[in-house]
Amino acid sequence: MLKRTLLATLPAIGLATGLAVGLAALPGTAEAACAIRNTVPIKTLSAGFDAWKAVTAAWAECGNVQSELDMNFRTKQPTAFAANPSLYQIGGVANNTVVPLLNAGTIRPLDDLVAKYGQGLTPNQLIKVDGKTMAVAMMVNTQNFMVREDVFKEMGIAVPTTWDEVLDAAAKLKASGKFATPLGATMKPGFDISQEFLNVFLAYGGVATKPDNSPGINSEAGMKTLALMKRMAEFLDPEYLTSDSTYVARQFQQGKIAMANLWATRAGALNNPAESQFAGKILQAAAPAVAKGGKPATTLWWDGWVIAKNLPDAEAEMAFRVAMEGIDEEMVKANNNAAVWLLKGYVPGPSAKGAIESAMGGAPAYPSTSAMGLISAALGENVADFMTGKKTAEQTLQAIEASYLTRAKEQGLVK
Amino acid sequence: MNQDDTPLALRPRLAQRAGVAVFLALWCFIAAFPLVWIAVMSFRAPQDALSPDPLRVLLAPTTLAAAGGLSLADVALGAALLWLAWRAATRWLPTLAARAETVPAVPRWLALALGYVLALGAAGLFVLPWLAGLIGAFLGPIPLVGLLAEPVIGITLEHYRAVWVRQEFYRNFLNSMMVTVGVVVISLSVGTLAGYALARSQSRIAFWLLVGALVFRALPHSVLATGYVPFFLNSREILAPLWEWPATAWLFTLFADRPPLLYGQPLATIIVLVSINQPFTIWMLRSFFQNIPAELDEAARVDGCSHFEAFWRAIMPVMWPGVITTGLFSFLLAYNDYLVTALLLDAQSMTMVPAITQFLNRDTRLSDQIEAIAAAVSITAPLFVLVLAFQRQIVAGLTQGAVKG
Amino acid sequence: MRLRTLLFFTAPSAVLMLLFIFTPLVSVAIQSLHTTIVLREMVKVETCTPGFLAQTCTTTERSQVRMGPDGKPLTETRFTGLEAYRSVLETGKLATAFAPGGQGWAEVLRLDFWRALRFTLTFTFITLPLVVGLGLVIALAVNNAMRAIRGPLVFVSLLPFIITPVIGALAIRWLFIGDGIVTATLRATIDPQISFFAQGWTIEVLMLVYRVWHNAPFAFIILYAGLQTVDQDTLESAVIDGASRWERLRYVVLPHLAPLIVFVSLIHLMDAYRVFEEVVGFGSEAHVISLQWLTFSYLMPDFTGNRYIARASASSMLTMVGIVLLLIPLLARVWREHRPRG
Repeated sequence: MLKRTLLATLPAIGLATGLAVGLAALPGTAEAACAIRNTVPIKTLSAGFDAWKAVTAAWAECGNVQSELDMNFRTKQPTAFAANPSLYQIGGVANNTVVPLLNAGTIRPLDDLVAKYGQGLTPNQLIKVDGKTMAVAMMVNTQNFMVREDVFKEMGIAVPTTWDEVLDAAAKLKASGKFATPLGATMKPGFDISQEFLNVFLAYGGVATKPDNSPGINSEAGMKTLALMKRMAEFLDPEYLTSDSTYVARQFQQGKIAMANLWATRAGALNNPAESQFAGKILQAAAPAVAKGGKPATTLWWDGWVIAKNLPDAEAEMAFRVAMEGIDEEMVKANNNAAVWLLKGYVPGPSAKGAIESAMGGAPAYPSTSAMGLISAALGENVADFMTGKKTAEQTLQAIEASYLTRAKEQGLVK
Repeated sequence: MNQDDTPLALRPRLAQRAGVAVFLALWCFIAAFPLVWIAVMSFRAPQDALSPDPLRVLLAPTTLAAAGGLSLADVALGAALLWLAWRAATRWLPTLAARAETVPAVPRWLALALGYVLALGAAGLFVLPWLAGLIGAFLGPIPLVGLLAEPVIGITLEHYRAVWVRQEFYRNFLNSMMVTVGVVVISLSVGTLAGYALARSQSRIAFWLLVGALVFRALPHSVLATGYVPFFLNSREILAPLWEWPATAWLFTLFADRPPLLYGQPLATIIVLVSINQPFTIWMLRSFFQNIPAELDEAARVDGCSHFEAFWRAIMPVMWPGVITTGLFSFLLAYNDYLVTALLLDAQSMTMVPAITQFLNRDTRLSDQIEAIAAAVSITAPLFVLVLAFQRQIVAGLTQGAVKG
Repeated sequence: MRLRTLLFFTAPSAVLMLLFIFTPLVSVAIQSLHTTIVLREMVKVETCTPGFLAQTCTTTERSQVRMGPDGKPLTETRFTGLEAYRSVLETGKLATAFAPGGQGWAEVLRLDFWRALRFTLTFTFITLPLVVGLGLVIALAVNNAMRAIRGPLVFVSLLPFIITPVIGALAIRWLFIGDGIVTATLRATIDPQISFFAQGWTIEVLMLVYRVWHNAPFAFIILYAGLQTVDQDTLESAVIDGASRWERLRYVVLPHLAPLIVFVSLIHLMDAYRVFEEVVGFGSEAHVISLQWLTFSYLMPDFTGNRYIARASASSMLTMVGIVLLLIPLLARVWREHRPRG
């Protein structure tokens, strides 16, 4: 009897010991993931999508790293990096958000640090301005076309490759009664709506800013773009003017829309069974073109990090080494589908298909210029007035150019 | 109702009573519904919480399957605890406070409030689950009655765990407490002095100070707050002359070796919030002081007290209801402030309200949104307790001051 | 009280207000008259960005910010007089709107400042009577309720007021946006097409409802406290004189509450004119914006990191002029009541 009781308790004891050992070992294994021991308190500020969650978690393993993930980091970063000493050592940036930091001269050239610690980096990752490496890219991002493959198969519709086909498909889906609003789009005023405009505008051959920095929005391409956006609105959720990427992703997850031109970084959440009712049913393809055989109507972006200038060199060196640890092979392997990584160890999966097809189709890189930033701001402010019917297409395009010129004068871009 | 001391002739008729009752019920529903609803959402798994079907949000079948839930017996226990909490706040606490009247009012109330919160937390977190387990063990085996102990409503604490443990929200809570207590204490000390003088003075300067304060109260905060940002960020360089100029250097070096970086300093933010809140504070306190007869301090002055002594010995003891009411308004302002704290505090010193944006702005997964809701409920809970404990004082204080505008 | 004592007692408060309210105000006034321009030069720059197989580098001639010897960008601040005000008010477009062939007010209300002003004023003046009225009705109702339940009633009524404004706005948004619970219920029972965030006027109504919900409890608690001090003898003699319930309210209670109603209106006027949280919380900028939101949007750095300080300052000065104008009747009352005597 006693023996049996003893025997019965043994597995329990074993389990408990195993748990205890496992718990004790946890911090150990976590620290082993970071090859260096960080002794300087390091603060980072970046966007908050899944890829950044993965990278900042890898940084945290080095110890003494405090990361702020904020989708509105853009408004904080310029002031914070201009402080002396800078309030953050490492900043997460993209093509457009690096511009303010470059303009203010608050990030440091990284060439010497790259030479010393950057053996793992490929030349493709080095963002160079005027011959100097100013940022290290870790991933590319693009708005590509996501469709509910199951729905399209069932209805016998081919995956659209042009916007005309998209709208036809949307009409069919709406007529079938399965989707009241088959299409999703990020039309929230500000960055989101300006991006929807620019994708199509550039694909129509529009030139947003001319070499002398004068605007080119009020043109035939501009008119065509607005007309297309108006046609899209018919198939969007009536509250589309408040919808950002998160909102569109949620519409996918809840089965309210069947297609959208959405950021590739959102694919992870769409295919996560804990979040989405349609995980694994969402196919990514190249962004639709505006005409048969045209370039995909989207732009290519990179995301990466920079190191602040207003820091002691030793601190910057440590920050660089920590930053490198966050983009090592181990992180990539653990988060392979969180982004289209530019890093060693990345195996392009289904979620990279749309981005790669868009790039191969000739989608242009989003230009990192001040003028483009101002155009984007002017678009973000004014396009919604056309969508709500407050202004006509001509009035809207004029207002965009006027708003751009007011800004550009203060920026010294135009006289 | 025997307690009702309204004169018979003034009592409403039955039909009117019914009308009033319906109106009050409707108003209470509208007042409480949004808050109660987000509180319910915060205890549900994302699929339940964001469901458009109200029943699903309430019963939460997915949460029940995944994380367990509450039985009817548990709900009854919870209701009993809430009733006790209400009772304690409205009956026992004031009695207790009245008994310990030798202790000065502010520390007395602070100690009582703190004790109350701790006791409530302990009861909710430890005693209640233990009791529930006990009842479950007893009722479970009995047929039919056992159903009472069967979980029917899904509930999960996962989001609170994520907010308070993983995201270390308790740090923001402590920062909030520091900033709020700082603002209340400094605001009241500075404000009572000014309010008293303004109530007793007939001079032209006093009048213009009051009108100035009124205009200052009207200014949009974004204008003020953004005026501070460059100064706070570059305070090391801007303040450097004070540390270098020999005439002032000796004084400032006593406090610090070099000029401080004001950005992220809770004390600097406290001072800003105090200043922004001064106009309201002095107007409010002034009307309280006006209702205290001037003979009181004049008598003290005749006895040979200085102005300050008269203020401290004769006036302050009868001013506490007014001070507590004004203090509560200062508390609300400091605790609820978003614009100033978001701009002037850094990640380490961030208070709770601006910190909530970090949950909203990292909102890329469904669970992130429910975490934001849990954080919002966490921020509201202390306010809830505070008003529960102080609502009698608010009404009494306002009645005494009868705010003369 | 002697002047010296007055100064001694009020000094700490006055110094704080001077330093942290008046000084920023003066600097805003000065900044609204100056414009800072970033200096640039045309340079040939080679930029490289990642491609899929290899890096793409392009050399273009473009304007780049000139850096000073201290590594900071060179800027030039110029006195520009009322330029920023003209730019905010869009005076040029105002002229064309009223010129022959212009569309008059319809065109004016498309300009940012004017539509923000339109919304801010309607918001202020619609919520004002609603807040005071609802507050008064709740106060009267609670005062007529049984004594035993007055405590809980006061507590529940105060909830909307004490809640953090940002969180209150978010709570309402969560209930109404997309298929939030209230919208979903209304769709199921009334009309499947209902959506609150699809057009301007519903968002505006929602903002008004939110503000009334949030601020009526403040009016309620002040007026409720005032009701406690109504002279019972006067009321009873009014009953004896045969005054109806309405007459007692009209001739006894309301005159007693008048100073409190003015106080509540004053505070509400100031707070409603500052409307900002609603625009951010409801994400309504595509449809409605407010004056403080306009200032805020100029102040947020754009994609080049630039803040439009001059225009922000001008718009905040205009905002301030507006509130002072609104306050003049109330300030006049304060002047009559508190005018220094002797």
